[in-house]
Amino acid sequence: MRAEGLRPGMMWQVAWRDLLSTLRDTRTLRSTVLLPLLLLPLLSLGLPLLLGNLMGGQVQERQRVGVIGTLPPELRRLLTQPGSGGQGVELVPVADPVQAVRGGEAEAVIRVTRALPTQAGGAPVGVEVYAELGNLKSRSGAYAKVQSGVDAYNLGLARTRLAAAGLSEAVLTPVKVQSVDTRSPQNRSAGALAFLVPMLMLSFLLNGGLATALDSTAGEKERGTLESLLVSPVRRSEVVAGKLLATTLMALVTGLFSLLGFLGSGLLFSLLRPRGLINPATADLGGQLSLSAGSFLAMAGLVLSSALLISGALIALGIYARSYKEAQTYASPLSLLIVFPAVGLQFADFLARSAALYALPLFGGMVALLDTVKGQVTPGHALLAVGANLLGAALLGVFAWRCFGREEVIFRN
Amino acid sequence: MLDIRNLSKTYGDFRALREVSFTAQSGEVFGLLGPNGAGKTTLLRILATLLRPTAGTVTLNGIDTARDPEAVRRSIGVVNGGMGLPPRLSGREVLRSFAGLYGLSREQADARIAVLDAELELGRTLDARAGEYSTGMKQKVVIARAVIHDPAVLILDEAASGLDIFARRALLDFVGRTRAPGRLTLYSTHVMSEAEEVCDRVAIMHRGELVALDSVPALLAQTGERTLERAFFELVRGGAAPGSPVTQGAAHAR
Repeated sequence: MRAEGLRPGMMWQVAWRDLLSTLRDTRTLRSTVLLPLLLLPLLSLGLPLLLGNLMGGQVQERQRVGVIGTLPPELRRLLTQPGSGGQGVELVPVADPVQAVRGGEAEAVIRVTRALPTQAGGAPVGVEVYAELGNLKSRSGAYAKVQSGVDAYNLGLARTRLAAAGLSEAVLTPVKVQSVDTRSPQNRSAGALAFLVPMLMLSFLLNGGLATALDSTAGEKERGTLESLLVSPVRRSEVVAGKLLATTLMALVTGLFSLLGFLGSGLLFSLLRPRGLINPATADLGGQLSLSAGSFLAMAGLVLSSALLISGALIALGIYARSYKEAQTYASPLSLLIVFPAVGLQFADFLARSAALYALPLFGGMVALLDTVKGQVTPGHALLAVGANLLGAALLGVFAWRCFGREEVIFRN
Repeated sequence: MLDIRNLSKTYGDFRALREVSFTAQSGEVFGLLGPNGAGKTTLLRILATLLRPTAGTVTLNGIDTARDPEAVRRSIGVVNGGMGLPPRLSGREVLRSFAGLYGLSREQADARIAVLDAELELGRTLDARAGEYSTGMKQKVVIARAVIHDPAVLILDEAASGLDIFARRALLDFVGRTRAPGRLTLYSTHVMSEAEEVCDRVAIMHRGELVALDSVPALLAQTGERTLERAFFELVRGGAAPGSPVTQGAAHAR
């Protein structure tokens, strides 16, 4: 197949026809515009709020803690009374610690096998604490309260013993650690849920381009409208470029609305926080987007190049399929290609930030997007990721162009 | 105008066309007749630059379809029975969009749409979305789309398939009106009566070979039959045997 030049007018004619067709489909418009605008604030603000409130709720809740054996009265008091750790726990006698936790009779069980000391200085005595240690609710609730109660009891005994010896409590901690968070305000607002931003952003790009790409390729094949286009004077390269343009524009429209969704939820967050409606646990989870001018530029480049890459993949898959349904089947794994690496981004702190990482099309872009969200992206890494995405998009575009020239693909239906 | 020489096309081991040669001139409605699988669609798709021949050449006004497909596409219009329309676009939008692809300005496009509206009786439905069209209306707009640039060669491949009696009549009347100096209409069908009615000359194809080529009266006289359908069976029986006088004559038909 001979390489041909691109005439922008012809390309736009092809793109406009596909865009008009998409814009007339209200269902597609709903998923392109409304979904990111409504869903993103729900996910990026609602999720941290929900999780934060659930964790905060654990502190305020009075959990049942089983006891086997005898607890010193002071330890009982420390465990049951409200303190800085929130509400105390309710102590109940149980027989079997494992059964009590598994059966839900208690969230944690303290088992005392030997009498616990009531003054410091003797040999330490072990106390067993039973809980579902993999369970976040248990760890942040009953288990944490038992630990904090035992710590307070130990400190109380040590303090009394030191006072008797004429020493102050400060003897125990000659050096005190004061943690200073060096994260930028951008990084802090992104928080622990920052990895959601690239995942949601790219998922919405895919979602935005999907309908246009599949309808303008497999759909056209199925309806018999592609043949009429291919017998017109428009070049194959212009057909591919026009369809790529229409798909990318629709993906970018969704990308823009998802960006607005993120920024909107960030605004809501900043409005709710001064009113005390955001608890510290929610603030730590973050998931909000606040961008500097440089970050915004980097994000624009990364989103544009990712949209082109995803659109190229969709067009190549779509033209190969016999029907719209078959194309949907081919396109489904694409969302997994985005979601799986994006979920892995929550462990991105362990990734060595080498150039090779950013040179991976799509994934490099995701890492660069995450860095951008956290305000840590370097211009070199951003450019490398954009370049890798553009190269990937160009290769997919050439592949799609070759597919449009192959009889067995065009008449595959 | 149209010169097809030793045209062959194979799909793997299957030979869809076997050294087909003929010429057709402007001013005529030229029929391609044959049952399903005769090779008509393959031949027309090669002419429309959608397929590349395995061997042989197709030239249109001296332009080789394989060498300069873009130039060929500027001078042809194609309608086939399976062609559709984008359901969310109106007929007028489709026609304007294709007029743009052929380099027509908005004014030229609207003037041409007005002519086609009158000729094909497109009416008010032209502004309705194509998804709401009846089969007949859809086919009218498909035809209008194919001739929006007033092509020198109009290719109709099983264009009447699936049409009701009214739409079919409108199509055949339109094909009859396309007979004009400077225009060649290629009409492919497996319905003999349609070819009998609208075609000046017909090429009869069977199993990828050209079995006969002549005017309808000449073919009837040659076979001694009263209808083209009976003549077709007679010719196919003769033409199926390679090397028969009919096949030899047709292969070099000019």
